[in-house]
Amino acid sequence: MTQVLTGLGVGLNAVVAEVFQVAPAAALPAWAKSAAGVEAESAVLKSAITSVASDLARLGSAADETTAEIFEALTYLLEDESLFDMAVAHMDEGWAAGAAYGMAVNEFAEMLAGDAAFEERIADLQDLSKRVQASIAGIHVGLDLPQTGAYVIVGEDFSPADTAQFTPAVVGVITVKGGPTSHTAIICRSRSIPAVVSVAGAEHIPAGTSVLVDPVGDRVVVGGTLTDATEALTFADTGRDPLVEVRANIGSLEDAEAAAKTGADGVGLFRTELLYLNESSQPSVERQRDLYASILAAAPAGPITVRTIDAGSDKPVPFLNMPEEENPALGVRGYRLIQDHRTFIEDQLKGLEAARVATGREIWVMAPMIATVQEAAEFAALARSIGSFKVGIMVETPSIAALLPDLEGIVDFVSVGTNDLSQYLFAADRMNPSLGALLNPWQPGLIRTLERIASQAKAAGIYSSVCGESASDPAFAVLLAGLGFSSVSASRSQVDAVRAALSAVDDAQAQALAKAVLVAKSAEDTKSAAIAALSAL
Amino acid sequence: MSAFEFTVDVIDPIGLHARPASQIVKLVKDSGVTVMIGREGENLVKANSPLMLMALKIKTGETLKVSIETPDEAHAAELVAQVQEFLKG
Repeated sequence: MTQVLTGLGVGLNAVVAEVFQVAPAAALPAWAKSAAGVEAESAVLKSAITSVASDLARLGSAADETTAEIFEALTYLLEDESLFDMAVAHMDEGWAAGAAYGMAVNEFAEMLAGDAAFEERIADLQDLSKRVQASIAGIHVGLDLPQTGAYVIVGEDFSPADTAQFTPAVVGVITVKGGPTSHTAIICRSRSIPAVVSVAGAEHIPAGTSVLVDPVGDRVVVGGTLTDATEALTFADTGRDPLVEVRANIGSLEDAEAAAKTGADGVGLFRTELLYLNESSQPSVERQRDLYASILAAAPAGPITVRTIDAGSDKPVPFLNMPEEENPALGVRGYRLIQDHRTFIEDQLKGLEAARVATGREIWVMAPMIATVQEAAEFAALARSIGSFKVGIMVETPSIAALLPDLEGIVDFVSVGTNDLSQYLFAADRMNPSLGALLNPWQPGLIRTLERIASQAKAAGIYSSVCGESASDPAFAVLLAGLGFSSVSASRSQVDAVRAALSAVDDAQAQALAKAVLVAKSAEDTKSAAIAALSAL
Repeated sequence: MSAFEFTVDVIDPIGLHARPASQIVKLVKDSGVTVMIGREGENLVKANSPLMLMALKIKTGETLKVSIETPDEAHAAELVAQVQEFLKG
């Protein structure tokens, strides 16, 4: 008997193994007073800290260098002398060791709050606080994974401290929460461990049951065998040109050089913020010209689409003052920075124009986070007054997606950022692990919005492109071509796979695929309609 | 005990964050001397706690006062040169 649970696949290989359910850690005891006295309680705390420190050292020694450095930094926070002194002060008030440490950590968390640079450290500190309190209460927080054998481990989601404990016996991973960009997904992708994340109901699969982890099929089949696994699509090399141009996404000189080795027709998204994150003061126009010229010169032949700075309070540029915000994703970011930093955006465009002249490359410029036609017109006028660019905007906000016809004569092109468009369309925070399923690009709500954008852009004589993560999926890229987009832009590692898919289909086939996808009613059905159409080729 | 005073510049683009704070504390503990760090005109904090250093919320471009309690001026200069190195990011 088989049972199918759907989720989001990570990787291309399937695996069959027994389920190992990772038990959620027991709840920590409530904070309590103690009659044992400060001396006894501080001895308890000291030994708990020593024990957690040795756990961290053990995890660090088994991990790769980057992870080991993280654990070393955590140890310094754990053993902080002022933190210990503050805990002792709470013991003076009669609190037991665990409560005293928890309170001291909360006080430091409050002192560090309100600064984006410390958000993750606060989370680390709270995690350490839990570990220390668990150690005092005798609660075990380790994953206790088997060292030998082969298991598919199932848990709610896995933190960096959890994934560092993965043993060689972990051959597959299923999480109940987490999206395609969760820590678990990233680690499994880099270690080639087959995984399916965001699988509702996976916590009910009994331990010891044999399951098929089928990432290509975005599903887990309880009782399934490898012959049930969905095969990754492969496309025959036809030698034809792709149906639409396939460009590359880049963010650095290294990316530009690597992209030039692929078959990319130019660059569909050059993320510029990376160039500024390590600058302590605003670079001069001349310095920006030199930075840009080296990257433009190295980029693959074809037009280069440059996105102006896309920073916000969650990814601040050091030399621009970006105050803390309640909701950074809905705050002053992207083109909205022009309110306070007009000179910066002007200088960026001036540096680009000088680099364009120096390299002779064709440059398209676009602004992120445009919400109104007025903003689009203002950016277009500014860019045209500074250089000889093709001018466009990113389509990420639902408001501008509804106004495509009004952009006629104002911009030359639009480029859809599907990651942010999904986040805003579905009101689903990209950072929230519980909402991964809503951010699946195969959601009919996103696909029908894309269809409207492509057809309205065409009617308005505007060139349209998609540069979000979704365009790196070969099957989705064929759908985008069928919906009427003029080009797609993929991460550099995916350019050739996307080109192969778009060379294997003709216009009529891509349009038939799009038609079948547009009538499907769920994210599972849209994807299977696309796969069915491609398999029938 | 005499104390030598120096200034250092915070060049690291993220300011005085967890990593340089930990590096400074490790250096201070290994050296065995008392080192105080803070903004000019404010109370300095004892540099034996990365969390206290982080709680100063020092940003790129700030200048810090470093006070080192040791009779050995050459040792003090050596320590401050390393602190400056950690703050380069």
